[in-house]
Amino acid sequence: MLDLKNISKSFSGVKALSDVSFTLQAGEVHALCGENGAGKSTLMNIVAGNLKPDEGSLHLKGELVTFNNHQQAGKKGIAIVYQDRSLVNTLSVAENIFLNHYPLNRFGFIDYKKLYVDTSQVLAGLELQDIKPDMLVKDLSPAQEQMIEIAKSLVKEPEILILDEPTASITEKETRILFQIIKKLTAKGVGIIYISHRLAEVFLIADRVTVLKDGKVQGTLPIEEVNQDKLISLMVGRSLGQQTFENFAQKEVALKVQNLSGKGFHNISFQVARGEIVALAGLIGAGRTEIAKTIFGALQKTNGEVMLYDSPCHFTNTSDAVTCGIAYVAEDRKQQSIFADMSMTENMLAAKYAGAGFAKYIPEKASISIAESFKEKLHISTPSLDKKIKELSGGNQQKTILARWLSMEPKVLIVDEPTQGVDVGAKFEIYELLHNLARQGTAILLVSSELPEVLTLANRIIVIWQGMVAGEISKENATEEKILHLASGLNTVN
Amino acid sequence: MQFIKSLFRERTYTLTLFIVITFIIASIIFPGQFPTFQNIQQILLNSSVETIVAVGMMVLLISGAFDLSVGSVAAMAGALTAWLMMIAETNSIVAIAGGLSAALLVGLFNGYFISYIGINPLIQTLATMGMVRGIALMIAGAGIQNLPYEFIYIGQSKMLGIQSPVWWMLIIVILFHYLTTYTVFFRRYYYIGGNEIAAELSGIHVKKVKMFGFILSAFLAGLAGILLTSRLGAAISSIGNGMELRVITAVILGGASLKGGQGKIFGALLGTILIGVISNIMVLSRVSGYWQEIIIGIILIGAIWLDLAVQRKTE
Repeated sequence: MLDLKNISKSFSGVKALSDVSFTLQAGEVHALCGENGAGKSTLMNIVAGNLKPDEGSLHLKGELVTFNNHQQAGKKGIAIVYQDRSLVNTLSVAENIFLNHYPLNRFGFIDYKKLYVDTSQVLAGLELQDIKPDMLVKDLSPAQEQMIEIAKSLVKEPEILILDEPTASITEKETRILFQIIKKLTAKGVGIIYISHRLAEVFLIADRVTVLKDGKVQGTLPIEEVNQDKLISLMVGRSLGQQTFENFAQKEVALKVQNLSGKGFHNISFQVARGEIVALAGLIGAGRTEIAKTIFGALQKTNGEVMLYDSPCHFTNTSDAVTCGIAYVAEDRKQQSIFADMSMTENMLAAKYAGAGFAKYIPEKASISIAESFKEKLHISTPSLDKKIKELSGGNQQKTILARWLSMEPKVLIVDEPTQGVDVGAKFEIYELLHNLARQGTAILLVSSELPEVLTLANRIIVIWQGMVAGEISKENATEEKILHLASGLNTVN
Repeated sequence: MQFIKSLFRERTYTLTLFIVITFIIASIIFPGQFPTFQNIQQILLNSSVETIVAVGMMVLLISGAFDLSVGSVAAMAGALTAWLMMIAETNSIVAIAGGLSAALLVGLFNGYFISYIGINPLIQTLATMGMVRGIALMIAGAGIQNLPYEFIYIGQSKMLGIQSPVWWMLIIVILFHYLTTYTVFFRRYYYIGGNEIAAELSGIHVKKVKMFGFILSAFLAGLAGILLTSRLGAAISSIGNGMELRVITAVILGGASLKGGQGKIFGALLGTILIGVISNIMVLSRVSGYWQEIIIGIILIGAIWLDLAVQRKTE
């Protein structure tokens, strides 16, 4: 159905794709794998009409096509769900889904009644009954937004659907729904290109897999002929064994949360010991991020207490929290962590500006040497630390954000979805790093929707369900099934 | 090529180049009038008051906000200072302190409502612009004249042959250049302008820092107003009319962007000087005052257009 022949593309002299050929058949799911910067997004942007290839040709149903823009590709039945959300925050769910093709009445005005009815049907099809068509996008959680993004591309009834990291910000429940939809679509003959860092998903859903590395095709194989190890070794050029981590938890309690209540959660109690990694697991919207942000002072508590090494902390702003030694790596890197137009060095030093005095001088040399040392320590690959952070890959961006907090030497580190949109290589490096921090005595609170990540890293897992603690599982007893069970509100303790 | 690229990326260089070119052209057209010490000093003197205001505006624009009430605050601070001296018969120092305190209060009012209550800066400062102008008119009425000598001295004395407002301007520009480059507190404005949410989540007390920006802007506007009153020797309630337009134009010309995160204090200085030079040329060419306003407006749009074009080129 879709046939890409010998595609090459360069950006200001750097080759992003060289001689890439790729085919997609009707009714198949073709997974595209590769580390960040391998060229997956570039290739998909060419298919979607956002970029023009320097060399090579695009054939659609045997016919040679060239797209000058995204609209032309859309007319040919190609739809893409971007990794970065592209919704209008201030408009309703319905208006976002039917953006550009509102149902009209016979006078040519927008037919709102039909718009809402149609939207309800679309939402029901995605099992998103808790979202109402007239809700504003800004009131949705990141997972819900992602699902709306998918809904938006589905109503165009595409023949080719490109999903770029669709599960990066959604939980297992939504993932299952997404997979059901993919199966329905392929049964109707829709071809799907599926990009994901989560290899387990690739094995679940894909029929074929193509691996890209440094802009070149490493191979296209039927899924039956590869296993996880082989896929990883194709992607990174080496194979990564399953990591197992020791437990460095000490006796001393670092962070103690007692009967904490706030927006979206109530009566939460748990503690994290020095050197311990505790995970807050649960579905998106369960209140985990809200709990983390409340501990950090970014949201206000309504009740309860937070204790840091036995001294009560009542933070009304993040500045106080940082001064007391709490660090928070936010979940949505692009929106909440990076200063896109600022340099790597400036991004690393952002937290150094918290709580410091009115006229404290930061010598340039000192800043540069701090940045250089973290670049070394965290293996951040960049030609220069003066480069704008937005020009780097997701993995390097996230390492830079981690450097921002490590330079503070925090007592408690809260990481919210630390490996979202990060390639496999960087992901394991981040695990390694968190593990080393625990060894040095940092208490770590991990918020993650990725169950393998929770199982790999956490010493203890606290499952949150609808703003309450649904249960606690030790590392030894933890399985994905048990966590999911609790996270879905079955067998609630208390 | 590399040189030309860096020239366009760094606004202070581009502006300096532009000022030099304008200067040379003007010197060729008006050889006897333009390149004289007298005239250059006049340009600097005329730019000095607005440069002081532009420094505060630059800090605000770096954080992604702006203040439309600066002109009114300048008029109000000048009027109140004069009123305290002439009607309440206090001494000059108390009067100046009174004028500056009133300006600080307006800044606090703006800053609190914008940062803590969440009112849009455009609406908030547009409202105070009107309110404060009203207060200035109430205090100064038709004008307060015959201000005491020791007060007039502040704005009319000379040092090394250069008028004191120029010195005030230089001191403030250099001070704030130093502060915004080297102090943690002022660097935070760049982070807030770069990404406000990320700044908050990096432990920067965004609300407090933003509020202080408005207090600073109002304080410098008040100082500029008092300086201008002293220079004129009288409090006139209409001073600073349209100042917000000229100052924002200068600051945007100087490299600030309405989306925040960029700009340098020296850019503010160069921006006002360029506008000063252009105004001076217009006066020498006998362009009417109405046309001057029209041309300043055109320059503002041109500057923003240039900014967008350069951004697209370098990206």
